[in-house]
Amino acid sequence: MTALPLDANDGGGRFPGFDAQGQSSRWDRVTQGVVLARLGRPTDLRFFTVAEEAAARALFDQLLDQRQEPRVPVVNMVDARLAEDQTDGWHYEDMEPDPAAWRSTLAELDAEARERHERPFAELSCEEQTLLLTDIQAAEKWRGRQASRVWSLWTRYACTAFYSHPLAWDEIGFAGPAYPRGYKNLGLNAREPFEVADARPAQDPAPHKAKSETGRQR
Amino acid sequence: MASVKDRNASAWLLPPVPGTNHAMRANMAQFRDEDEVDVVIVGCGAGGSTLLQRLARAGWKAVALDAGPFWDPERDWVSDEAGSHHLYWTEPRIISGDDPVPLGSNNSGRGVGGSMVHYAGYTPRFHPSDFHTYSADGVGADWPLEYGELKAYYEDIEGELPVAGEHWPWGDPHSYPHSPHPVSGNGELFLRGALASGITAKVGPVAISNGRFGNRPHCIYRGFCLQGCKVNAKASPLVTHIPDALHHGAEVRADSMVTRIEIDDRTGKATGVHYVRHGRARFQRARIVAVAGYSIETPRLLLNSACKRFPAGLCNDFDQVGRYLMVQGAPQTAGRFESEVRMWKAPPPEVSSEDFYETDPSKPYKRGFSIQTVSPLPITWAEHVAAQGHWGGKLREYMSDYVHWACLGALCEFLPQPDNRVTLSSEKDRNSMPVAHFHYSQCDNDRQLMEAAQGAMEKILYGAGAEEVITIKRFAHLVGGARMAADEQRGVVDADCRSFAVPNLYITDGSVLPTQGSANPALTIMAVTARAANRLIAGGAGKATKTTQPARPATA
Repeated sequence: MTALPLDANDGGGRFPGFDAQGQSSRWDRVTQGVVLARLGRPTDLRFFTVAEEAAARALFDQLLDQRQEPRVPVVNMVDARLAEDQTDGWHYEDMEPDPAAWRSTLAELDAEARERHERPFAELSCEEQTLLLTDIQAAEKWRGRQASRVWSLWTRYACTAFYSHPLAWDEIGFAGPAYPRGYKNLGLNAREPFEVADARPAQDPAPHKAKSETGRQR
Repeated sequence: MASVKDRNASAWLLPPVPGTNHAMRANMAQFRDEDEVDVVIVGCGAGGSTLLQRLARAGWKAVALDAGPFWDPERDWVSDEAGSHHLYWTEPRIISGDDPVPLGSNNSGRGVGGSMVHYAGYTPRFHPSDFHTYSADGVGADWPLEYGELKAYYEDIEGELPVAGEHWPWGDPHSYPHSPHPVSGNGELFLRGALASGITAKVGPVAISNGRFGNRPHCIYRGFCLQGCKVNAKASPLVTHIPDALHHGAEVRADSMVTRIEIDDRTGKATGVHYVRHGRARFQRARIVAVAGYSIETPRLLLNSACKRFPAGLCNDFDQVGRYLMVQGAPQTAGRFESEVRMWKAPPPEVSSEDFYETDPSKPYKRGFSIQTVSPLPITWAEHVAAQGHWGGKLREYMSDYVHWACLGALCEFLPQPDNRVTLSSEKDRNSMPVAHFHYSQCDNDRQLMEAAQGAMEKILYGAGAEEVITIKRFAHLVGGARMAADEQRGVVDADCRSFAVPNLYITDGSVLPTQGSANPALTIMAVTARAANRLIAGGAGKATKTTQPARPATA
């Protein structure tokens, strides 16, 4: 399989030739079954309606900057979780349980897009979509909800799906499962034979400034 | 060390290869619902499993019910982050308050072994000061027991897990049975940064055997401690207490959700528990009932067991059930280094500092925090990055830099408050049982501790040479909700974990802790339970028959 498309300026190609799946013969069989299934044909959609699918695809492409094939099939992975009610169980008192919250927030996303541009979210231009999401992220309240809770619902599911995929691991230099093999070379700048050094170690995403930032869980 | 096997042979009852002792499970005792067992235990985590093992060894007819499965690590667990979702308690729950606390993967386990199946493995003791914070500082609460009464149990449990670490200079100074593990890049940077900032940091204390222990193998440093240890190197009751319990005739009845404790209105005593197994409603009779469902499910079960004698919920005559529930503030601060750290290699628990644990009279806040290495895997790391507001291209770019980041976590001693509590919601689960509603708000002291902890972690990371630091504010652990106290107007159980209201009802889990210190709670939950078990055995209460022989010979 080829690498996910990502420009070098955005962090692409930092681990040339690194191939997490190439290690799969060293994984235990149960883990092989779980991880390699993510490389097979994406599951058919069961949870999202057609309209929700369109909005969700556009939303995930934005949140994860997936602009062209090959993509990690995030919409199918999230759909499968919601269809199976594979949630964390808890929900905020002022939000629905996750599956219902997904339906309603995607509907609100389309409603917001229609109010602004008279088209559903998926039909907006990339720039219009980005602007709309930027506004939601910055808002205190969004369409009667706490904006941060909507944002965290979306990004949590998006990141969990994307960063469970071996192609995403290739992009970040992470080798994935490590049983029964384990690691033998611990410590700074120590690598296993199958690990690849970062080709551009000075590419700090926030270069040349010592600074501190704070965020909040969920 | 020679005596560990004599009092808890779990590590020697496991097979000398990865996996579990299938024959021992297949031949496990099976009590009938109609049998009045000596004790039925609700929940098979840190507290429930320890109690089961202790009582079974004393010859009690003991059965422990757990809502989740009886894990087979080889079959059920994977070396993968997203594939480990089933380890968490994911039944519906509602959260609210000024600072609602996410549950599920954050702090709630499911199945035999409980949350210790997916905890990191840190097992520090509480400090002596933790047991009287109200007298000393006017905050928190005084326990009805002191550190000295737990010390021997701490030592016992540390031997049984076993715990590895350097000599520990904080609290009551002590040593550990196993020597410290080698550290990875993350631990190396913590030690370097602490040295540069004049902060003491030590390797440990971690409940991961260093070297072979019984038939449990050496750690392979694969870094998936939070996904369940397939190696059997990291301690959880599934490998540290359940095998010995089964060998001494105990039964573990998995997939059994307890919905109500039955009380005889005439005697005021508990007669057993109602539970649902495989879709069928059943009732297990018992002479003693011990609840060990942890801080959300224990109060939920008590409240749902309201009856004529206890109309406001079992043991709730003084409105104490569900209150004083605590979480620890657990901000995580990460630093960027030009070197490759690859923090996911090696167990996340490596190095810690308790320099800031005690009240510092020069600070405006009371009590303190500890600092430990944490080493998030990619999905958890993405959450850390996304919490900075990054998404789209910026998120991908930050994530491509993963190899260069080291990450520390703090545990801040948030104070117990009466309004931080569990109540029953009108929403029902699939057993038609009302779901728990957990309301949580921080106080000013809590917020000040979070800020101070972040500052200390930033100092350490900059001291180690970090170019940039980023922090995510989060919570960890649960304790309280059915706390022990000197009397029934201030708590639910006494120092022996016996409920004030029902003489044959015990609570042996984290919900009985009146304060939490800045320590990970597992070791203290086990020690408090081991003490309660000892008192119960010494008192002889409820023991009907004595069987000194193991129920059946078990071979690996």
